[in-house]
Formats: sequence, C-alpha cells, structure tokens
Amino acid sequence: MFENLVAGFWAATSLANLVALFSGTFVGIVVGILPGLGPMVGMVVLLPFSFAFAPDVALSLLLGVFCGGYYGGGIPAILLRTPGVPSSLVTSFDGYPMTQRGEAQTALSAALLGSFGGGIISVLILIFLAPVLAHVAASFGPPEYFSVAVFGVVLVVMAFRGQLGRGIMLLGIGFWFSTVGIDGTTLSQRFCFGMLSMQNGLDLVPICLGLFGIGQTLILAEQEIMKTRDIQLSHSSLDFSQLWKVLKYWKTLIRSSVIGTFVGLLPGTGSILASFLSYDAAKRLSPEKALFGKGTPEGCLASEAGNNAVPAGAMIPLLTLGIPGDALSAVLLGVFTINGIYPGPLLLVKEPVLISTLYISMLFINVAAFVMLIVWLRPFAMIVKVPGRLLAVVIMVISLVGIYAVNTRLFDAGVALAMGVLGYALLRMGWPIVNLIMGVVLGEIMENRLRETLSLGDGSLWIVLHRPISLFLIVLTGLTILVPFILDARKVKKKKHTDTNL
Amino acid sequence: MSEKKELSSSRVHDLLGSMFGVFAVAMLVTSPWQVDTSGPDPFYKGPLIFPLIIFSIIIAGSIPSMWRLVRPSLNASWYLDGLGRPYKNIVILGLLVVYLAGLMVVGLEISTWAFLVIALKLVKQDSVLKITLVPILVTLILFLLFKVFLDVWFPEPLIMGFFQE
Repeated sequence: MFENLVAGFWAATSLANLVALFSGTFVGIVVGILPGLGPMVGMVVLLPFSFAFAPDVALSLLLGVFCGGYYGGGIPAILLRTPGVPSSLVTSFDGYPMTQRGEAQTALSAALLGSFGGGIISVLILIFLAPVLAHVAASFGPPEYFSVAVFGVVLVVMAFRGQLGRGIMLLGIGFWFSTVGIDGTTLSQRFCFGMLSMQNGLDLVPICLGLFGIGQTLILAEQEIMKTRDIQLSHSSLDFSQLWKVLKYWKTLIRSSVIGTFVGLLPGTGSILASFLSYDAAKRLSPEKALFGKGTPEGCLASEAGNNAVPAGAMIPLLTLGIPGDALSAVLLGVFTINGIYPGPLLLVKEPVLISTLYISMLFINVAAFVMLIVWLRPFAMIVKVPGRLLAVVIMVISLVGIYAVNTRLFDAGVALAMGVLGYALLRMGWPIVNLIMGVVLGEIMENRLRETLSLGDGSLWIVLHRPISLFLIVLTGLTILVPFILDARKVKKKKHTDTNL
Repeated sequence: MSEKKELSSSRVHDLLGSMFGVFAVAMLVTSPWQVDTSGPDPFYKGPLIFPLIIFSIIIAGSIPSMWRLVRPSLNASWYLDGLGRPYKNIVILGLLVVYLAGLMVVGLEISTWAFLVIALKLVKQDSVLKITLVPILVTLILFLLFKVFLDVWFPEPLIMGFFQE
C-alpha cells in the first residue's frame, strides 16, 4: 500500500495533474460562491473538456470542482446570508449574525478551518476504509450487487419521501433513459424510434449538462437569484490571528468531519443532512449551547466540516461498490466508465496507482482551496457581484459547444437542449432531480445485475433471500422504507393527542 | 413555509405527474414493438424485462398525481410560484436551437457572437461595455479552446459554399 501511495504521490505532483486540480478547485470555489450555480453546474460544464485528459488528470479536475464548490459555498452564506450551495444554509445560522456584529473574519476563519479539517479528515477515513469495504465487497456476487443497488435506490427515494411519487417517477424515467439504444448484452435495439442516432443511446454527459448546465442557467436567467449587496470584509485576505483562535474547537472539527464522512457514504443523504447533523451534534455537546444561532464560530466550523467531508465520504461506495452516493459522484462514475475503468472492489486491486493518485489529489485539492481562499478572500467574495443573467447566457453557450465537442455530434447537443427544458421544469417546480440522475447512472448497473441474478436463480429472484449478505441488505432496505413511515405516523398521532389535550 | 407548501401542492405538479404516467402507460403497451426481442434469450435474460419493470414503477409513482388531478381537493389551485409563464426562457431556448443550426450555416464564431449579443439584450445585460466585450471575449475563448487547443472538428459553414463558388 505504501508503495502505491508513493507512486500516487508522484503522479499527483505531475504538472498536468497539478494544473488540473488547481484549475478545478478555482472553478469549484467560483461556482460555489455564486448562488444558483454550485459544483454540479461547474462539473458538468467542465465534463466535456475532461475527455481530452488522462483519467487521473480528468478526475483531479472534476474532484477539484466537487470539493472546491463546498469551500466556496460558505462565503456568501456568512457575508450575505445567501448560501452558495444548499448545505451552507446551516453555516449562515451563525455566520451572518457574526458578520452583522463585525466579526466576519472570525466566522470565515471558522468556516475555512472547518472545511479544511473536514476535507482532510474525510480523505484519511476514505484511505483507510475503502480497502476494508472493498475486501468485504470482493465476496459479492450478482445478487449482493443487485441488493446493494436496490438499497442505494431506496435510500435516494426515501431521502425525498415528502415527494415520494415524484421521486419514484423521476427514478423510473432515469432508468428508462439508460435503456435507450443498443442493449449491451443482447445487442437488441430499444426505444430508438427508428432514428439511427438513437442507437448510440443517451449519454450521461448531455443528460447531466442539459438538466443542470442548461436547466439551472435558465432558472438563473429568469430569476436572477444572486444578491449584490455590500461585502463587509476588514482585510483582503484572511486574518491569521482569527484562524488560530478557532483552533480551540478541534474536538468539534473531528466529530463533525466523521459525521460528514459517514453521511456522505450513504447514497441519497447528501451534504445538507451532513451539515445539519454536524451542527446539531456540536450544539448539543458544546458548553456554549446558548450562543448557537446567535453567532458562534463553533457553529460555522461544525457545519462546514460536515459538508466538506461529504465528497470523500461519497467516494467510498463509488470506489468500492461502483454505486454513486449522489449526483456529483454519479458524474465521476461517468468519467471512470467512459475511460474504461469500472469502479468496484477489484478497482483497488487493478488500479492501485490511480486510486492512490486520487487520494493524494484530494488532499492537495483541500490544501489548494484552503490557501486560495486565505490569500484571495476578497477577490473571491467579489464574484458574487457578477450579474447572474450574464453568467447564465455564457454558460449556456459553453455547455452546448462543450457537449458537441465530446463526440462531435449535434444530436448530443439536441439531447442536452431537450434535457435542459426538462431540467428547467423540474427545478422550477422543486422536483427531486437527483433521482433522475441516479436512475440514469444506476440503470445499467441495476439491469445487468438483475439479469445475472435471474440467470443464477433460473428466472427466480428468490436467490437473493438465500444468501446472507443479500438477505441482510434486503431486510435493511425494507427497514429503510418502513421505519420513516412508522416514525411519521407516530409523530402525527402524538401531535393529534397533544392537540386534543389542549 | 406556507409559500413552500403552496408551491409543492399546485395542480401543475399533478398535471406533470399525470403526463409522465400516461406516457409510461403508452410506453408499457408499445414496449414489445419498441424493443427488439427476436434474440434467443429467455424472457428473464432478454432486453424487455427491465423496461417493463421501469414503466410499471413510473405508473405506480404517477397514480397519486393522476388521482389528485381527477379529484382535486377543495383548496387545490393552478398557482405555482407567481413567476408567470416563462416566455423569456422559451425565446432563449428558441435562440439556442437557432444557435445549433447556426453552427452549420455560419460557423462557430459568427453563431456564438450573434447568439450572445441577442441573448444578452434579451436578459437586459445590454450596457455598451457588456454587449461589446462579452460576446467577443467568449467567442475568442471558445475558438481558442475548442478549435485551437482541443482541435475539435466543426462542420464547414454552409455559407462558405457561396464564397467558394
């Protein structure tokens, strides 16, 4: 393992990789700071460019955006109470009151230290946990993989159980998109509607770019989400004296990072939950409970450590099982598969240097983001002032040309436009669009594993109940569906009881 | 909070959900003709089993929407978010379609520049500085990035045919 880490270190320090991870991190911070965009838009816009690079360089570029986005999101949350990424909403609970008191530097120091700590600790957990999980997953057969995929899908759907029907529909539509074209197993045509260009299927790239790149920018062009109020900062860079002060919350930092990593590990849970849980744990265990919500650096630190730990956490199921934890890691899965690399337990054995490069790059990305924000804090914060509508129009053009450039097919650009319309409608109506992406990514995996499982069981699915691991996963899936409903029913009953007593 | 609830319970959601449901029914019925099942594989190894499951899932998910659309509650309304009809976005989408066609007719550079000028005007980002600088800069960046650096092939603009003749 040590040899691989050394080889990974040298690969990660190659000029191409360093340029990619610095550029990715820079773009990530920028799109993270801009409310209404976020790391997903940054990743999908850069996706077409990543195909020109080697897999490790492409992954560093996109991981830079992934991690950098969470770093950037906290800045407008603290300075303007406008979270750059949804999970930074929690950071604004304490960050903005501190800004109002003239303590923006302290709040930003806490958020940055939290982001840095969360990023580094979660990558260390990833390095140690991934081989263990991969070892367990090495004994998996098709029924176990199928059960894991079902569990992942159920977690994603249940994460939006307030919109259960909509979530199920979007997941199904995502699955359907994954079936269009020539079936890889039987070479049969499916849903091509007599069009030759449909035979290649609907690529993940135009779908993601359309839904997020074009869909989100149409929203931006319409609503101008960004605020351009005054930025209150005493220095143009971060005040180091404040950074040392917040180091006293090191226990909160470690706890929040661990929570964030394990929340990120579960498919569908996402960074918002990680932020909330980390913040809640910090609040409950802090000796300064009363200050939470009124402006304490500990709150900013906990929330940012939680959400910055998510990217590395989401990499654990992706690398060991080939199951992405969220839409962002689904895009990374796309990059792996397009380069002929199939994540799963054997990946760590087959591509140890690539994986080590990935680990080291993630550590470097956190250092890069930390340093960039310390030095260029004010210039980054000023990005909020760029008019959203102008950005939206420019991103649309870059997205369309980028999507054409991947396969030099105008058909893909057409697909991206159609997906843009769908994405706009779904985003405006607040439907859980993540389910659609998860459906597209998991569709092929689910279908192949289902067929293999059915083949093993001679056409019967009972085989999943005859194997201990898959049986355990199916029971877990059943509990994931039932427990929230039982808890909700109890809450309603309790509320009714209280209302009657009143 | 109430605004959020209103947004989530608008009948527009039920209409969209029902449209997905009807689409899934149509696809479920026509699937055997849309999927080539002529191979020798048994049904459970074949290409049709997964699509059938998928469309059943979509239909199951759309049943509540269909039910609410047919039998709306007393306080149900078509109000969505108060932002009105997206006319501007429809025009932008139309422009994007024209832009794609323009790539073939007038080429990347002219098409990009023209789209940006019109779209910026449309979204009211039309100060002299923005409308002059942004289209030129973005066109230049796209040209350098895709044509020079990435060496991406773009179709020969049809308009060039006139000049060559």
